[in-house]
Amino acid sequence: MTGEVWQRLSPRMLLVHPVHEVLRQIPLLIGSVVLGSATGNPLWTLFGLGLVVGYGVARWFTTAYRIDAEEVRLRTGVLQRKVLSVPRNRIRSVSTDARLLHRLLGLTVLRLSTGQEARRDAAFALDAVEAGQVPRLRAILMADSLAIEQEASGQELARWQPSWLRYSPLSFTGLAMIAAAVGLLYQAGAVAALQDSRLARSGVEAAERFGVAASLIVAAAVVLVASVVLSVLRSLVTYGNLVLRRDAELLHLEHGLLRLREHTYDMRRLRGGTLREPLLVRLFGGARLDAVMTGVAGAGEASLLLPPCPRATAESVLSGLIAKPDAVSGPLRAHGPAATRRRWTRALTLPAVLLIVMAAVPTPIWVWPVWAVLTVCCVLLAVDRSRALGHRVDAQWLVARSGSLDRRRDCIAAAGIIGWTVRQTLLQRRAGVATLIAATAAGVKRYRVIDVPAELAWTIAAGASPWVADNAWARA
Amino acid sequence: MQLIEPANPPSRKAPLVWASGAAIPWLMLAVGQLVWFIVSPRLPWLHATAAVATALGIVLFVGVVPMWRYRVHRWDIDTKAVYTRTGWLVQERRIAPISRVQTVDTERGPLDQLFGLANVTVTTASSAGAVRIVALDFDVAERVVAQLTDIAALGAEDAT
Repeated sequence: MTGEVWQRLSPRMLLVHPVHEVLRQIPLLIGSVVLGSATGNPLWTLFGLGLVVGYGVARWFTTAYRIDAEEVRLRTGVLQRKVLSVPRNRIRSVSTDARLLHRLLGLTVLRLSTGQEARRDAAFALDAVEAGQVPRLRAILMADSLAIEQEASGQELARWQPSWLRYSPLSFTGLAMIAAAVGLLYQAGAVAALQDSRLARSGVEAAERFGVAASLIVAAAVVLVASVVLSVLRSLVTYGNLVLRRDAELLHLEHGLLRLREHTYDMRRLRGGTLREPLLVRLFGGARLDAVMTGVAGAGEASLLLPPCPRATAESVLSGLIAKPDAVSGPLRAHGPAATRRRWTRALTLPAVLLIVMAAVPTPIWVWPVWAVLTVCCVLLAVDRSRALGHRVDAQWLVARSGSLDRRRDCIAAAGIIGWTVRQTLLQRRAGVATLIAATAAGVKRYRVIDVPAELAWTIAAGASPWVADNAWARA
Repeated sequence: MQLIEPANPPSRKAPLVWASGAAIPWLMLAVGQLVWFIVSPRLPWLHATAAVATALGIVLFVGVVPMWRYRVHRWDIDTKAVYTRTGWLVQERRIAPISRVQTVDTERGPLDQLFGLANVTVTTASSAGAVRIVALDFDVAERVVAQLTDIAALGAEDAT
């Protein structure tokens, strides 16, 4: 059936496309409604609606895909025809994504990811196929890279626990959502409409009766509570029911209560992982895990393996994947006094400059305690950042840790490193340190080991890549 | 373990090319300031400051930086790796194994053509791993490309 014929997407898309098209063309529809009522001829409105719906239906008829022995092709476009083709042996991962409307109709969007970083319009997506077909399609598409085992066998690496929610209240997603909503209201003119309304006036009066300071505090508290609730809810809806499973050489990640997302990765493309511990998550003993893979974007949702979860879980999953517990949790080699000094200088520059400014110009008395608090924060930051710096290298793995507000521990497979850079700014040359950058085809492409002693830089590189020590320039 | 510095300097004409490349925008700025002075000669102190800033910029970027870069820039190739040193304020030494090379490109801008120079870019599967050897004499660049494509089994493996 998946022979060399063009196949259409699920016929149920005949229902979805028009709805999406209507949503996308709302300005056009409003225009046609206005035209219809202005001319007193409702046919205009119907015509506009018909055009949009017709376009949506036409999209189904003009989209087709075929899976050949060598490549997968997708033909799209109503007015501008386009054919995308992906060589099958370049498929690195298959992911699926079902939003609410798709799920109600039992449909799923299927995306292929290759080594290339596809721009948005060049991404290969089958929008949409029936959910029942997905395991079969995925088996066919990934079959070229490996012999697929039966579905749902294999070992479960991690499953979402309600206790993971404790890491979400402190994230900024809730605040971001509130800001976005306010921005939207503002754009839609709701705020301008409110400005003179009775509601706004009574609100202002109530605030004045209550006292301005008290109202501000109440407002801040409301925003804070709302942001916490939103963050927790979002985290629950996005990650509740997350399951990470490994079937032989395939890694499956599945999550989402409303919008269901599934990723399938080829384990042979795994070049390591990044444990990320943002400060607020770290304070509660949590961590998140990103995959470092060729053919998968290095940051953001595409590479996510585990959302904030207990550190032990993230560590055990990563050690299971890379089969090297030392790299994940073993002690690191510190970078020495010069690196520490540089962290302190950087953190204390801002307070020092402020101090000079404050001494030079007359400042109100309340500025001083603020400055003191800021200085203490900077000192803590410097301590934390210098404690974080460290690396570890052997013939299989390069491990580098850095950062405080967004601490990360990168574990990179030495075999995946295809180039080294030793970078020194003027100040680094004077301090006798260097930043070592490992280039790989996977993840974010460059992984930094910050401020290692300059005389050690090439030794570290050679520790992971023997070819660095085996050339015309190496000297013992 | 240490790596000694790569042996080969870029073309002797390299500082000239870099200086002329920097001179063009700076001279346009200077001409702009001259026009500004002719059109509205009020606020002489402002004109003076701008003129001094431009003069300093020209001395630095047309005079000092090209010579500085020329002293830093080095490149070398052996049978297994490509190795370069670049930069001036921020200096980078970069090494990539020839077995992982994906493409070898030569590129010549208008100024390079004027002075008979070429730049060679050796790309690997990582966007962070491309090695650029800039401002080579054209015949040297051709030799480098020939040598690299000779050694590298281009396209033989996935190279990721």
